[in-house]
Amino acid sequence: MAKEAEAWDGPTAAELKAAGAEAIPGGVRVKGWVIQSHNGPILNSASVQLFEDKLQTTHLPEMVFGESLLSLQHVQTGIRLHFNALDALKAWKQEALPPVEVPAAAKWKFRSKPSDQVILDYDYTFTTPYRGSDAVVQKPDTMQASLDESSNLCWEDTEDQIDLVALSAKEPILFYDEVILYEDELADNGISFLTVRVRVMPTGWFLLMRFWLRVDGVLMRLRDTRVYCSFGSDEAKPVVLRECRWREATFASLSAKGYPSDCAAYGDPNLIAHKLPVVMQKTQKLKLPN
Amino acid sequence: MGTSDLDRQIEQLKRCEPLTEAEVKALCLKAMEILVDESNVQRVDAPVTICGDIHGQFYDMKELFKVGGDCPKTNYLFLGDFVDRGFYSVETFLLLLALKVRYPDRITLIRGNHESRQITQVYGFYDECLRKYGSIRVIDRKQEVPHDGAMCDLLWSDPEDAVDGWGLSPRGAGFLFGGNVVSSFNHTNNIDYICRAHQLVMEGFKWMFNNKIVTVWSAPNYCYRCGNVAAILELDENLNKQFRVFEAAPHESRGVPAKRPAPDYFL
Repeated sequence: MAKEAEAWDGPTAAELKAAGAEAIPGGVRVKGWVIQSHNGPILNSASVQLFEDKLQTTHLPEMVFGESLLSLQHVQTGIRLHFNALDALKAWKQEALPPVEVPAAAKWKFRSKPSDQVILDYDYTFTTPYRGSDAVVQKPDTMQASLDESSNLCWEDTEDQIDLVALSAKEPILFYDEVILYEDELADNGISFLTVRVRVMPTGWFLLMRFWLRVDGVLMRLRDTRVYCSFGSDEAKPVVLRECRWREATFASLSAKGYPSDCAAYGDPNLIAHKLPVVMQKTQKLKLPN
Repeated sequence: MGTSDLDRQIEQLKRCEPLTEAEVKALCLKAMEILVDESNVQRVDAPVTICGDIHGQFYDMKELFKVGGDCPKTNYLFLGDFVDRGFYSVETFLLLLALKVRYPDRITLIRGNHESRQITQVYGFYDECLRKYGSIRVIDRKQEVPHDGAMCDLLWSDPEDAVDGWGLSPRGAGFLFGGNVVSSFNHTNNIDYICRAHQLVMEGFKWMFNNKIVTVWSAPNYCYRCGNVAAILELDENLNKQFRVFEAAPHESRGVPAKRPAPDYFL
C-alpha cells in the first residue's frame, strides 16, 4: 500500500565534504564511483508497444517504469552495474514459469464456459531471476542506458559474506533512493513488485533489489539481491559482493506452521521475510576486468 | 436529515474532513433507501459525464470536479472502484454518497470490484475505516460478490487483444473477451460502444477493437507514483463524445511537501 513519504533534505554539505563526496544531479560521486538514479512515469502506449516488440510478448505488468534506472559506475575500471525494467522483463520472459492458479480457479473449473475459449498461459506473476545488469564501459560520465549492451563482467562464487555489522552502523547517508522497476496488482489477486533501493555511506554503498510476489491465498515469493561495496584502501580495486537469496512459501504451508493465513497479514515483505523458507542462496564476488 | 445538514456535510467533505460516526450512519441509511429503489440495470440519460476509478485519491477527485463541473450542474456516472489504495477512501466515498443522497437524479454510482468486503480488507479501505472510526460492527451486506454469474463476470472480466472470442485468464479464473465478443454484444444490444473502467491506462482513456469499447481511468498519478494522466468522458445531449484529460492535484494543495523519501538503514 502507498505510504506518504517522510521529508528528507538530503545530506549536509559538511557530511559530503567529510566523506570526500560530491552531490551530482540525481546522485553522488564518491570514492571513484558515480552513483545515480532516475524515477520516471509508467510506459505510455507507444513505449508499451516498443517493450512488447523487444520482449516478443503482448503481456506486460500493468505498471512498467521503463525510464527508471539505478546506475553505479566505477570510473577507473569502467565497471557499471545498473538496474532497469527492460532487462528484468527479459529475464522474466526467459525463465517463463508456469502460471499459478488463484483459489477461485478451483470453483471456476466447474463453470459452464464458452467452448472455443483460449487459455492464456504466460507467467502473469512476472517472477524474474534478474540480478541486475552489468557491463564494462569505456566512456564513463554517461547515465544513458545502452539497452543492448551485453554483460561482460564476471561474478565468481565466494565464501565471503556481506558485512552486516558494518552495514548496521548508523553512518551519515550521502545518497538514498528507491527505484520501482515494475509493479502489477494481479487484477486484485495480490501483488508483483520489483524495486531497488540504494544507500551510500562514507564507508561504502549498499543496494537491495527485491522481487516480491504475493498471490492471495496461494503463495509468496521473495527474491532478494543485495550488493555491497566497501570502500577499501585501494580506490582502483573495488571489492563488490553480491548475495542472492530466494524465499518462497505457500499460504497452506504457513498456515500449517500456525502463521496467519489471511492475506492482509502479508502486506509488508520486511515483516514476514523470516517466515518464508530460503529456497536458493548464493554469494558472488565481482571479478575485476583486466 | 435536512437539506441544510446535507449541504453542510458536503461542504465539510469537500475540505476532506470526515463526518462523525453518527452522521455516517444516517447518511448510509438514507443512501440505502435511494439505492434499493434503483434498478439493477440503471437507465441514465444524456448529457452525462462518465468517470472511472478514483481509488481514494480525494484531492485528485476534486481536480475531476474542477474539470467536469460540480454536481448537480453536471450529471455524473461513476463506474466504481471509489476506495482502496489511496489515502482518503473514507472522505472520497462519503462525498460521493452525500452527493447521491442530496441529488439522487444527478449522480449514479455503480459498484466496482473494490466495493466488496474481501478486496477492501486487503487493499486499504477496511484499515482506513478502522483508523478513522475505531471499529466496524457487523454489516448486513445483502449481496457479496459471488464466484460466478453475471455480477462476478461484470466486475472481473477484461478485454484482451490476444483473443478474438473468449479467453481464460492464466490465473485460472476470470474471463477475457476479444473483439468478436464485443461486436456481437454491441450488435445484440443495439449500442454503439461499451464504456468501462477498472484498468489503468497511461493516457486516461483507451479505445479497443475499432472503437467498440473504451476504458476510462480517472485516478491521475495512480498510487502517487505512476505519472499517468486521468480522463472523464463527457456525452452531450446528442451523445457527442468529449474526453477531458486532467492531471493530479499539485502537492501544495494536498498539504504534503514534495520532498525526497527519508532514507532508512535497510539491510
